Amino acid sequence: MKLTKNQINELYKFTRKHYVYHYDVQSELVDHLANDIEKIWEQTPNLSFEDAKNNSFKKFGIFGFMDVIEAKQKQMNKRYKHIMWRFFKEWFTLPKVTTTIVLFLSIFFFLKIQFSEYILLGTLFIFLIFDLINQFKNRKNQKEKKGKTEKIFLLEAMIGNTKGGFTGITALNFFNFINLSHINFSALEIHWSIIVSLTATLLCILFYVIHYIIPQKAEELLVETYPEYKLVNNL
Amino acid sequence: MSNQKLYKGSLQTIILKLLATHHKMYGYEITQKVKELTKGELQITEGALYPALHKLEADGLLDIEVVKVENRLRKYYKLTEIGTKETTDKLEEMQQFLRTMQHLVNPKFSLE
Repeated sequence: MKLTKNQINELYKFTRKHYVYHYDVQSELVDHLANDIEKIWEQTPNLSFEDAKNNSFKKFGIFGFMDVIEAKQKQMNKRYKHIMWRFFKEWFTLPKVTTTIVLFLSIFFFLKIQFSEYILLGTLFIFLIFDLINQFKNRKNQKEKKGKTEKIFLLEAMIGNTKGGFTGITALNFFNFINLSHINFSALEIHWSIIVSLTATLLCILFYVIHYIIPQKAEELLVETYPEYKLVNNL
Repeated sequence: MSNQKLYKGSLQTIILKLLATHHKMYGYEITQKVKELTKGELQITEGALYPALHKLEADGLLDIEVVKVENRLRKYYKLTEIGTKETTDKLEEMQQFLRTMQHLVNPKFSLE
């Protein structure tokens, strides 16, 4: 006996109930459960769908789908880092490397200005506000999407949400650090100035990649990561 | 089955070897194949199989292919080029391990 379309949908709901929120992970588990249920029915055809489903789920052990979710998340973190690195590297090859150099020099000379730390604090503060607004918008978008289609891929959620952990909090930490340490940037020795400027340049690029480039290329990256992405969206 | 622990460390090698012989397989198929080949002696648990598959995929050893089968999506795994090479290495490692164990467990009847 084969599973009906409705029963497949039931299985999707079942995975969601067991904390599997992303479509790519759900799909694999649904196919697994479906195969197993059909196998169970071969042996005991009279068993109800519910019972067969529960028997099958029990085989995942007491942690249920948790191990699977965890492993998938780890895999995707790795993938995300690869993607980040791929776009990050571009800024050190021609022609983009010129932008990088200009950025570095601007920061370097900017730090030489008296009271540059106050300007820096102001900039960070403005940036923080923008980031908060952005995050708020993103959350709203994802929520709307969740309500509509309920098909969010793990990488999609990561591009929209986690930003590799590099969010406004990072900026807030810098803000506090500069604010509390009372560093006078214009009085720094040259090698310290270079280190500070270089770090700032790298962080700016990283931020730009995570917040602008990757979200812009989201569609492309999702198609590349998930062979089923197009298939699903056309269903 | 009390000896499942002994098999645990070999799960990746088992998966790679299966994929080397069968070209492409999906998760459930792997559990069934292992059960069939070992006559039920080894049963890969679901909670261990998928994490192992996802890890191998993250390491670039496996590639995926998704096909719509009946009314659901099926995710097939197959070896990448690196995966094929790694399989050879892992199998060699496994042979070495078996020889060493043989020496330890049964020194008198060792082949060498």
